[in-house]
Amino acid sequence: MPSGHFGKFGGRFVPEMLIPALEELEVAYESSKKDPEFKKEFLDLLKNFCGRPTPLVFAKNLTEKLGGAKIYLKNEGLNHTGAHKITHCIGQGLLAKRMGKKRIIAETGAGQHGLACATVAAKFGMECVVYMGETDIARQRPNVFWMEQLGAKVVPVEYGNKTLKDAVNAALKDWIENVSDSYYLLGSVVGPHPYPTMTRDFQKIVGEEIQNQLKGAEKKLPDYVVACVGGGSNAMGAFNNFLPLKQVRLIGVEAGGRGTKKGDNAVRFKGGSVGVVEGFKSYFLQDEDGQVMNTHSVSAGLDYAGIGPELAFLKEEGRIEFESVTDKEALDAFKTLASFEGIIPALESAHAMAYALKLAPKLSKKEVIVVNLSGRGDKDLFIVAEAFKDKNFYSFLKDFLKNE
Amino acid sequence: MNNISLRLDKLKIEKKLGFMTHVVVGYPDLAGTEKLVLMMDKLGIDFIELQIPFSDPLADGPTIMKACEDSLRSGTKVKDAFDLARKLSPKISAPLLFMAYYNTVFKYGTEKFCKDAKASGIYGLIVPDMPIEENQSEGFFEACEKNGLIHIHVISPASNKKRLLINKKVARGFIYVTARQGITDAKKGLDPKITQYLKEVKSVFDIPLAVGFGISSRERVNMIKEYADIAVVGSAVLDIINENPKDYLKKVESFLEELKK
Repeated sequence: MPSGHFGKFGGRFVPEMLIPALEELEVAYESSKKDPEFKKEFLDLLKNFCGRPTPLVFAKNLTEKLGGAKIYLKNEGLNHTGAHKITHCIGQGLLAKRMGKKRIIAETGAGQHGLACATVAAKFGMECVVYMGETDIARQRPNVFWMEQLGAKVVPVEYGNKTLKDAVNAALKDWIENVSDSYYLLGSVVGPHPYPTMTRDFQKIVGEEIQNQLKGAEKKLPDYVVACVGGGSNAMGAFNNFLPLKQVRLIGVEAGGRGTKKGDNAVRFKGGSVGVVEGFKSYFLQDEDGQVMNTHSVSAGLDYAGIGPELAFLKEEGRIEFESVTDKEALDAFKTLASFEGIIPALESAHAMAYALKLAPKLSKKEVIVVNLSGRGDKDLFIVAEAFKDKNFYSFLKDFLKNE
Repeated sequence: MNNISLRLDKLKIEKKLGFMTHVVVGYPDLAGTEKLVLMMDKLGIDFIELQIPFSDPLADGPTIMKACEDSLRSGTKVKDAFDLARKLSPKISAPLLFMAYYNTVFKYGTEKFCKDAKASGIYGLIVPDMPIEENQSEGFFEACEKNGLIHIHVISPASNKKRLLINKKVARGFIYVTARQGITDAKKGLDPKITQYLKEVKSVFDIPLAVGFGISSRERVNMIKEYADIAVVGSAVLDIINENPKDYLKKVESFLEELKK
C-alpha cells in the first residue's frame, strides 16, 4: 500500500500538477523527523514562543457540582495566539525554512488558521499570503485586521461562493505557480498525504503532556479523553498518544448545529458517507451524487464537511467513539465553564465540554475525564455576544461607530 | 476499435491539427449544452469533453468553477450527464468524453460508472484527481479498460521527468497537457519555458499530445501547432457563454470557426 493511507482512507487524490510539490514536501518532512536539531528547535519554540506545556487543571467546582467522574481540563487556549493550531504551524513553518522557502501560503475560513500562519511567518521572517473568501472577510474583520498587523497580505477571493473552498482553490493555484519559493501551510489533519500525518505528528505533544501531567496529579491514565472534531487536528493531538492504551476511551465530539436536518449540522459520521474530496478519502457530508453539502455550526472551526482520514479509520476500527452536541448545548457549556471554572473556551472547545458535562454524572468518582480545551474564546466575542443577544454590546458597537 | 483511436488515426493520416472542446453539463442549461455540442460537432470538432459538474473542482480555475456552481445550483444531476450523452452520441460523429472528478465516479460506483458511460456512448474518461499511485487500490483504469473506455491522463508543466515517465506507462489515447499558468501575452508568443516543456513531453510520449494553454485565439493555436496534435479549447468557450447569455451559441460558433480556419 502506498504511504499516507489509513486503512482505506487518506491517500493523495490530486491532479498531477500537485504531485511533485507533495513529493518534495514528503521527502523534506521525512528527513526532518530524523534530524535531532529540528526537533530541538521545534520544542524550544513551543516552550519559549508558544508557552508549552499548557496546564492540565482539575475542574474542582464542576466535578463537585456534577458528582461523578473527576474532570480535568487541558487548557490549550493558553497557547500563543489562543489555540492548539500554533503548534503545527510552528512545525510546518520550521519545515518551510528547512526547505529554503521564503513565502508561506495559506487559506483561511474564519481566520484563525490564517492568524497562526501570519504569526509564524512574522516570527521566521517570511512573507505570508493568506487567501480568504470575500464573504468570510466581511464576516471576520477582526481576524483580517490582526493578520494585517502581523504583516500578512490577506488576498480576497472574489469568485465562487467566496468562502473557504474558493480560498483553498486560490491558495493551491498560487502554490503550483510559486512552488520553488513557497510553502503551502495546511491547517488540519486533512488534505492529501503527507499533511494528515505531518500535522498529527506535530500535534501529538498534547497527548504526551496530558499523560505526564495526569500521572503527576492522579497517578493513573485518564479513563476518557474528550475532544471536539472539525478537521480533527486537536483531537488527533490529544488522542494519538493513547491509541495503543486500549483502556483509555477516546471520544470525538462533532457539531450537531441547529439539528439533524441536512445542512443544519456538521455530523460527518451519522449524516455523511465515504468520498474523495480535496485530495483525500474519508467521510464527507455529501449528497447521493457526491456533491459536498453545506454545513452549519455556531463554531466556525467545526463546520467542515469532511473529517481527517485517520479519524475515519479509527472510527471504523472502533478505537474512537463519536458523539455530537448542538449549538445550544455548546453555548450552555460555554457559560457553565466560564462561571464555574473561570475559563472562557472557544466555541469549538465548548462542544467537547458539553459532552463531558453529560458524561461525568454517569461515571464513578474514581474515573477521570480529560477534556481537551483546544482554544480560548476571545475570538468568538462577536458570535457569543450575538448568540446571547447582549444589548449592551450592541450599543457599545453603535457608540464605537460614532467615533469614526 | 474505440472512436477516439479512430479519430486520432484519421488526424494522423490527414496530418491535421485536431480540436477538442469542452462544455460543462447544465451550463448555461441542459438544453444549451446539447445545442453547443451539436454545433461543435457540425463544425468538425474532433473530440468533445462533457464535464460533469462537481462541488469541489480542485483542478479547475475560476471560470470552470463558476460554471460548475451555476449548473449545480440550477439542479443538474450526474444522471443528466448520462442522459445527455445517450441523447447526443447517436447524432454526432465527434467522440464524447466525460471529464469528472473522482468523487463523482466513486460515489456512482466505479465499475457501474464505466459501464453506464460506455452504454451512453462515451469513449473516454478524464479524471484529473486519480493519480496512478491511488489507482492501485481503486482499480479505476482497469474498470475503464474492461468497458472499452480510454482513460486520458493529464499532465502539466509542474510534472517533472519522473512523473512524465510514470504517466507514459499507463497513458492511453492521447496525453492531455494543461496549465493554469505559463501563457504570456498572445502577441509575444509562448513562454520559451513552455515550448521547451512541450518539446520534452513530445520526446517522452509516443501517443499524440493534446494541449490546453488558455487557447483563446487563432494566434495561440498557431503558437502551439508545432508542438501539439490536438488543441484544447476550454474556458474560452465558457467565457463567451458567460459574457453573452442571449446569443452565446452564435458567438461560440463564430469563435470556433475562426480558430479552425
